[in-house]
Amino acid sequence: MLSVAEPVLAIDGVHYAYLDRFAALSDVSLAVHRGERVALLGANGCGKSTLLKVLGGLLFPDVGSFTAFGSVVTELALEDEQFNRGFRSRVGFVFQNSDAQVFSSTVRDELAFGPLNLGLAAAEVEQRVRDTLSMLDIIDLADRAPYQLSGGQKKRVAIASVLVMNPEVLLFDEPTAALDPRTQQWLIELIVELHRAGKTVVMATHDLESIDHLADRCVVFGEDHRFVGAGTPGEILADRELLLAVNLIHERTHLHHPHPQPSLPVGSHSRRTWRDPER
Amino acid sequence: MTTGLEKILSDRSSVTPAWLLQREVGLCPCGCIGVRSKKNFIDKTIMSASGVIRHALFTDDIAARRGVLQRIDPRAKAVTMFAFVVAVAFLRNIPVLLGACALAVLIAVASQISVRYFIKRVWLFVPVFTGIVVVPATFSFITPGHIVVPMGHWFGHRVGLTSQGLRSAGLVVTRVAASISFVVLLTLTTPWMRLLGALRAMFVPRMFILVLGMAYRYVFHLLGSVTDMYEARKARTANVDRSVTSGRLFVAGTAGALFGKAHALSEEVHQAMVARGYSGQPRTLALRRIKATDVMWMLACAMAIVVLLGVDRAVGR
Repeated sequence: MLSVAEPVLAIDGVHYAYLDRFAALSDVSLAVHRGERVALLGANGCGKSTLLKVLGGLLFPDVGSFTAFGSVVTELALEDEQFNRGFRSRVGFVFQNSDAQVFSSTVRDELAFGPLNLGLAAAEVEQRVRDTLSMLDIIDLADRAPYQLSGGQKKRVAIASVLVMNPEVLLFDEPTAALDPRTQQWLIELIVELHRAGKTVVMATHDLESIDHLADRCVVFGEDHRFVGAGTPGEILADRELLLAVNLIHERTHLHHPHPQPSLPVGSHSRRTWRDPER
Repeated sequence: MTTGLEKILSDRSSVTPAWLLQREVGLCPCGCIGVRSKKNFIDKTIMSASGVIRHALFTDDIAARRGVLQRIDPRAKAVTMFAFVVAVAFLRNIPVLLGACALAVLIAVASQISVRYFIKRVWLFVPVFTGIVVVPATFSFITPGHIVVPMGHWFGHRVGLTSQGLRSAGLVVTRVAASISFVVLLTLTTPWMRLLGALRAMFVPRMFILVLGMAYRYVFHLLGSVTDMYEARKARTANVDRSVTSGRLFVAGTAGALFGKAHALSEEVHQAMVARGYSGQPRTLALRRIKATDVMWMLACAMAIVVLLGVDRAVGR
């Protein structure tokens, strides 16, 4: 049984390299507690997505350990059907590339895929699919094929396909990337709602504009694939030197409100803005 | 007044080559008119690829209309259209076969398919696949019999088209046309993905349907990538490139890049499946129940088939 203080997900001293040559994570340790919203910040190629995949049980560290809900997660442990089902039902992963995630022939089949694989009864699966479709306002897309969907619609379907499994922990890889402003705002509001509902959220992003709405805690990756800083969004955004060093901002970039400030209510128009230095 | 970009470029003048700060001459300075270029094989192939997407979207549009066939369950449709195709194979009279073609046209009209479009879809294939094949059978030296269209003499024998040959050819052509009509009706009025689902009713394994469905889904994705790569090349092609070699190089390069993309995508798709509990056993939603209208449709089709076969037998050879 997991104690209140014990983290839901924890990695300790993790190293990971692609093809045993290209380092993606170097001595990374992180603990995520229940109900937290953690943002993994860093430039392209620093290892954010790799870390998310380790947390999602899709990649396994070369060195170090990964613990989820008090149990050590390894490739061997996930071969156990019961353990695999328990882990997959509690950890949901929303991929950056919705085209990879939306693979079924129709939206309805896409949403049903996860619950069916978790062994839920057909009637419950159908009920959950209907509820999730209407919750995300995509009921009219139910019988559409993925190639008939726009980028924003695909993102909604990808999120719905994970939410329908009702996971405790949601992992988002670059959730706001390549989305139009309206869909971005919709997604931010959804993540806030999910957090209010008690979900734990971990996201990889380099979108500093939305970070104070999306996270309670930020962990910053350096370009050497190590953690170089952590703090609240306000603290991280105020640390200009750190952001410059990890290539999250350029020296010409100016934050409109570079000082720590409380999170603004979602939907507010007075959000932090980035300004062109020449204007 | 300088723009932001010019200022950035001027600040970095030590690394910005001078030519980048100058304008390029867009057109030939003498003002002559250029030569029109024809589309090469790459253009045509890529255009055909986008045509596939357009065609699929168009047929999905027909499948979304509220006609008779669109209301029928795909399984009922697949079974009845298959039954029609089998029945057509047993018909031996051209007028009865033409009656089957007319029945297909009637169903098309009831399903809100344009008659012109439907006939074009069916009769474009028939001459290509069967017309050419059966033409020799109409000649007296292949099918001996009563010559109705004389074409002279050859080694002392009369040569021409025989009534027996024409009848055989007509039988094959109308039979093929009727079969294609029913298949086209099925494919036009059913979204491809639902058609695949209907195959389950015909005991096709789930894994096969899952793989087929994913292949169809990602063909569209990869076709989009091919079009993007081609357009990126075209956007940077200033001169008319008539070289077949460079065309082949582009095709080979595109194929290689596409293979790499498909491989990376397949890995990510597998991870997305595993993340949602997939462990090698495909599971799908239960098939919907067959409704009373579907049963009525199947009964009506069964009656039509019985009538067609009965009339064919009554007319005799």
